[in-house]
Amino acid sequence: MKKLEISEKARQQANSCRFCWMCRHVCPIGNATGQERNTARARALGVSVVDRGAEDLSVIVDNIYECTLCGACTNNCVTGWDPKIFIQEVKAEIALKGLLPEYVKTLVSNMQTTGNAYGLELDPAIGNILPVKKSDTLLVLGQDALYKSVDSVKGAVELMNKMHIDYTVDEDACNTGSALYFLLGKVGETVEAAKKAAEIFNEYKTVVIYDPVDLDLIKHEYKEWGIEVKTKVVAFHDFIKENLTALSLTKGEKAYSVQDNYAYARNLDDSETVRELVKTVGTNKEIFLNRKLANMAGSLLMDAYMHDVQVDVAKIRWQDAKNMDCHTLVTENPAEYEMLKLTQPEGYNVITLEMMLLENCK
Amino acid sequence: MLNEFLFTQILTELEDAVGVENCSVKEIDKLTHSVDYFWLSRMWADRGRQMPEADFVVSPKNAQEVSKVLKIANYYKLPVTTWGGGGGTQGGAIPVCGGIVLDTKRMNQIYEINTDGMYIECGAGAIYKHIEIAANEKGYATMHYPSSLTCSTVGGFLAHRGIGVVSTKYGKIDDMVLQMEIVLPNGDIIYTSPAPKHAAGPDLNQIFIGSEGTLGIITKAQIRIYEQPEVRRFRGFLFKDMSSAFKASKEILQKFKPSCMRLYDNAETASLIKKIVGVEKPGAFMNIAIEGVKELVDVEEKILLETFAKYGAEDLGSEYGEKWWQEKITFFYPGHMMDLPQCFGTMDTIAPFDKIEKIYWAMKNAIETKYPQARFIAHFSHWYEWGCMVYDRFIVDNPPEDPVEAMKLHNAIWNTGVRTAIANGGVVNDHHGVGIKLGRLMKEQYGPAMQVFEGLKDKLDPNHIMNPFKLGL
Repeated sequence: MKKLEISEKARQQANSCRFCWMCRHVCPIGNATGQERNTARARALGVSVVDRGAEDLSVIVDNIYECTLCGACTNNCVTGWDPKIFIQEVKAEIALKGLLPEYVKTLVSNMQTTGNAYGLELDPAIGNILPVKKSDTLLVLGQDALYKSVDSVKGAVELMNKMHIDYTVDEDACNTGSALYFLLGKVGETVEAAKKAAEIFNEYKTVVIYDPVDLDLIKHEYKEWGIEVKTKVVAFHDFIKENLTALSLTKGEKAYSVQDNYAYARNLDDSETVRELVKTVGTNKEIFLNRKLANMAGSLLMDAYMHDVQVDVAKIRWQDAKNMDCHTLVTENPAEYEMLKLTQPEGYNVITLEMMLLENCK
Repeated sequence: MLNEFLFTQILTELEDAVGVENCSVKEIDKLTHSVDYFWLSRMWADRGRQMPEADFVVSPKNAQEVSKVLKIANYYKLPVTTWGGGGGTQGGAIPVCGGIVLDTKRMNQIYEINTDGMYIECGAGAIYKHIEIAANEKGYATMHYPSSLTCSTVGGFLAHRGIGVVSTKYGKIDDMVLQMEIVLPNGDIIYTSPAPKHAAGPDLNQIFIGSEGTLGIITKAQIRIYEQPEVRRFRGFLFKDMSSAFKASKEILQKFKPSCMRLYDNAETASLIKKIVGVEKPGAFMNIAIEGVKELVDVEEKILLETFAKYGAEDLGSEYGEKWWQEKITFFYPGHMMDLPQCFGTMDTIAPFDKIEKIYWAMKNAIETKYPQARFIAHFSHWYEWGCMVYDRFIVDNPPEDPVEAMKLHNAIWNTGVRTAIANGGVVNDHHGVGIKLGRLMKEQYGPAMQVFEGLKDKLDPNHIMNPFKLGL
């Protein structure tokens, strides 16, 4: 008798991963906590044991929420198993059975009352600089940037202005559904949020997505969920590349090291655009674990309920950088930028992609 | 079973020793420390049965915290089972008597990469792949590449005498360690000699390496690093039969040491090697890697080709060998590896050249005769100047559904296989260790010599709290 109402595909993933240890070394959470439960196999074992009725679902809830969904385990698996599949389906079941932990309920409740998981108002420092007048181009900054990363927003806005782009930022469009998808999996509320975002997107000719996590959702899950985005959707770095001639850049010798975001590198198979941009202004110095192998440097959503662990996750990435003498990290994801900034060691520096370009503008 | 009062008392003491956040009684932690890579534990969980669980899971940060935990455990006479990665196949990490599971993975510090002394000093809880990456970042390598490289910890490999695929040139884990820090069961922290080769009495390292957490807990180790080879070349061969492969290999090993040598019997060549590497022809496939300074490798390659040609080996070129190297870990991923509901086991044993082929045929014959439902496949993967090991597996596709009956069949096949190996001059195990799986056969292997291990156990661990029912102790 199977106790979990998950798909056969998800069940098959869990049953394959539950006795396999091969990816334990890549889990950013496991590497930060040293806890056995923070491995794909432990999560799969928990799911399979619950599915067999030997444990209650409540036993594995916290452990499910300790996964970043960064896909390092998926990328490592030569057979192609994907633990994210069963983790996301189990999240939906946790939600539907009313077993959400308090820390998740708070974030979901924030979404309902304020429109963002953090329950925050826009920082006045950025509220005044966002162009809200309708244009042909929509810049989707995403919720992490908009509510938690002033530097990211300022940099993106300044760069767009330098490129003389007429564009719009719509706060509602920043709720792409990615936060709800992380918190609840694919439930009605998640799909509804995605649909609303898509409706806004369709009012524009071009939609530029700043946060690769949002882009990943739009490129993959939207399609799977039957949500049609008719307009042109572009990654922020591709948009910059298209408009690069509008910037008067100077090329120097400074070494920059890319902090590959998992969504770009693993899910969207796009690790090179950022490197091309780095090479327009400086030299590219690689961290040993780069591109698809890069360690994630932190999640702001998880920071809301496991701060110390997220700090350790970022510190591990700094150690990777130190080991290779990489002094300036370049991020494309606001969460990783903020976590790396928070933990920045002396003599090291983290900047966003747009900050890197801005500091090399004539 | 501890009463609630005593349970809470001990919990507070353990929390005091390692920190509240590093002492868990949560079901998720007990569950994930109850199933390791041992087939029986996996089968038990698969059938919806509960494996024995610890009462407490502690994660100390260093030897001092380990010492505190062991003092508490000794006082209350609580069993202590050390857990590294849980990637062992022998049930060595399962807390069969409850008590405390001591997870070492918070002791994962890399203290020093010493390129003068050619070692990395690290906590025993470091995942081996992480120290390999640390070595690679500096242009070096650990040269310890087992299939469990990414799964297991430094301490785990030391605790059961692990081995990697380039062992013929670089050695086993017991050749790869300099000094170790160990916490004895009474809480004393000791250090082995600063260098592993000496005449200052028996080698303390070798007393604790392979002791599987029964005599103490390794908390820190200096692991050797090596220069990356200038070249690493592969050569695949197909022998008509294994006898000629053994003769050819013995001769090669009197001349030089390849890094990797793997000989597959006809059955495994026709199954795994065909599937993963693509060798279609019948025979016994052998892959050889030679590496190091280019000029030396050129000479070694010439000797290899000449020697193997003498014994009728078909030279398959480098393609299959390179493919094997790329896929060397693929064999062990779900979908490529045996998996439940199959019942299976790897009876690795080791012997000198004069006995190893006889052992292979005797084991194959014994298992296939007594258990016609079992298939028997093998390869020979770690070679020395004097002999090699056989990595032989049995596979039963349709074992009994009832877990108790499945356990009985599993253990009976193991008894047959290992007793046959011992009777023909083999050893109870080569590199997977003993654990609870083979503990009962240790006395059959060692006879009165077992009292040496028992004496050490009684002296160092008089309350017998350390990993009970493992290693036959």
